[in-house]
Amino acid sequence: MSTSAENIETMGDEETAESYYTHVEGVGAIPRDIYKHVKSDPLGDLPRYSIHIVIQHFLTFVAFLILAATGLSLHFSDLWWARQITFLFGGTDNARLVHKMAAAVMVAASIYHLLTIIGGTLHKVMKKQFDIKKTQIPRLKDLHDLVHDIKYFFGREQFRPKMEKFMYKQKLHYLAILWGTFVLISAGITLLFPEMMATIWPNPAFFQDLARLMHADEAIMAITVIVFWHWSNVHVVPGRFPLQWTFLTGKITREHQIEEHFLEYLNNLKEIPEEREYMKKILKEKGFESKGGDL
Amino acid sequence: MKLSKIFIKPSLYFLMLLMVLSFGFRAEAADKENCLMCHKYRQLGRIDEQGRKKNYNVNENIYANTVHRNVPCRDCHTYITRLPHDPVTEEVSCANECHIKPPFAKENFSHRKIINIYNKSVHAIKENDSPDLKLAKPYCKYCHLNPIYTRVSEKRISYEKTLARCFNCHEKKGVTQAYKHVTHRLAHKTSRSPQEIVQLCSKNCHEDVEKMKKFNVSKESVEAVETYNESIHGKAVALGSQQTADCISCHATSAIHDIYKKDNQKATINPANRAKICRQCHRKVNERFIQIDVHSSINNKKPILFFMNLGLRGALYSTIFGLMFLALIETIGRKRDGIKWQIKGGTTWRGKSKREPKN
Repeated sequence: MSTSAENIETMGDEETAESYYTHVEGVGAIPRDIYKHVKSDPLGDLPRYSIHIVIQHFLTFVAFLILAATGLSLHFSDLWWARQITFLFGGTDNARLVHKMAAAVMVAASIYHLLTIIGGTLHKVMKKQFDIKKTQIPRLKDLHDLVHDIKYFFGREQFRPKMEKFMYKQKLHYLAILWGTFVLISAGITLLFPEMMATIWPNPAFFQDLARLMHADEAIMAITVIVFWHWSNVHVVPGRFPLQWTFLTGKITREHQIEEHFLEYLNNLKEIPEEREYMKKILKEKGFESKGGDL
Repeated sequence: MKLSKIFIKPSLYFLMLLMVLSFGFRAEAADKENCLMCHKYRQLGRIDEQGRKKNYNVNENIYANTVHRNVPCRDCHTYITRLPHDPVTEEVSCANECHIKPPFAKENFSHRKIINIYNKSVHAIKENDSPDLKLAKPYCKYCHLNPIYTRVSEKRISYEKTLARCFNCHEKKGVTQAYKHVTHRLAHKTSRSPQEIVQLCSKNCHEDVEKMKKFNVSKESVEAVETYNESIHGKAVALGSQQTADCISCHATSAIHDIYKKDNQKATINPANRAKICRQCHRKVNERFIQIDVHSSINNKKPILFFMNLGLRGALYSTIFGLMFLALIETIGRKRDGIKWQIKGGTTWRGKSKREPKN
């Protein structure tokens, strides 16, 4: 590998974000590009999502596809494929009913998600284990990571930044989903119960028009982002092709964790003794043991 | 013996089938005065003064299946007084009384009542209308253009079960027709499907923006077809919905023909009457609900929504292209660093990095 340790002169007494080696007690000095040397199980090696998140992803995944198919064909009713798709759902009137049922599943999954997230956070706060770095809350570091990652993609930097469990892409996507779901659900309720919502909104005519606009535009935005970006991130890009299994197994591959979520991998090393042993073995095998030096 | 047994039975059945097929079922139309004596001939016709070919043939089988099957010819063609008759110069009037008595009524049947309602509506031809407008306004046959006046589909309400009880006392033929006549009008406000209604009002008329502009109608009216097609009602109907509002659902009462301009007190869409017409579907209608724009479009008269729409569109394109660009440079950058597409043998980083070592 060209990224030899000799070229890196960042080793000092104090470790910085850019350090090539990261010292982990009881393991040794881990080079930043160790992910090029580890072995991974395609189904995943390290825990990433709890069973709740896996179930929530499955519910939203199914509901989203149904909502998109029925919603798009209704919105673009004058296009040739609209009739074929509504036919699959048993005609327009049935397709509209199916859209509402799938929406109910989506709302239920969203509430389930909020309950797990809020409950889990409260639990961590009580146990004094809450760490803002591990959450989806955006920080200035994410912007920093994005800039450095782009530099790496253009070959201007040797290594990707060391990122937490949720990197800038995931935070962006997650916040977009939070906002999108909020908009789609509130606009959807306005469209579904116009009589009731007319009594709540200050200006019924304006808010009905707004709901019509937002529901369609936000949905199209969500569908294009899922189809073009999310699916390429989990199906197409190198390392994820043809399928990233995390959504079913809740586990992430070792090489993926180290490459994109290095700081979370350090947490894994602390929590999982087997992983410590594995990393020690790899460092020894690949001859990094001596270069970094033990602390 | 055996051979004849094999052949006789099937050939008998075949013969019976042939007999049944050759009989056919001839429908009988009301033709007491025997007009069909001449009009049954398919070649009956002439070339008129303008050189147009005219065909006067009446197909009895078709006529006997139309809604007018029980009406004798001269009930509508009243101007025929002797035989052979003079050249016809008049048009039939649907307001004529015919010699049909509807059940439970003493008077002869006529379309007069509905024509009176129509004559008060916005579509009625008024004296001070321009000749163009007079020509553009629809009269009976303009909308009821069913060329052979056949009955519309009667399959919407299943009648076999209900009718079975009627047959205990009533004769099958008469009561079946009467029952269908009533019930197919109950299934839906109009006999026609929402799709047919929308097409009827749009085609060659309300969708023709240039034509509508000539007749001094409001801007909302000119855009009505377009805004309807953009609305949830229009979209669902375009996809084949049978439960969604068409033009007639909102613009007329059950009299169908009483369509007025919005500012007319009698108009169903007049703010004073709107709640009533919306309640047909939206049961929980209230004062604020009826303020909602049904034929809505987002244009520069609604600046907030207009710029929001533009902004959202810009956000959509910039997001998609931005994210796709990120995915592209990410893929290229990681590929150059030696990653392969698929994980094999426990690693994806099987390639050699093409990056220049940093010095």
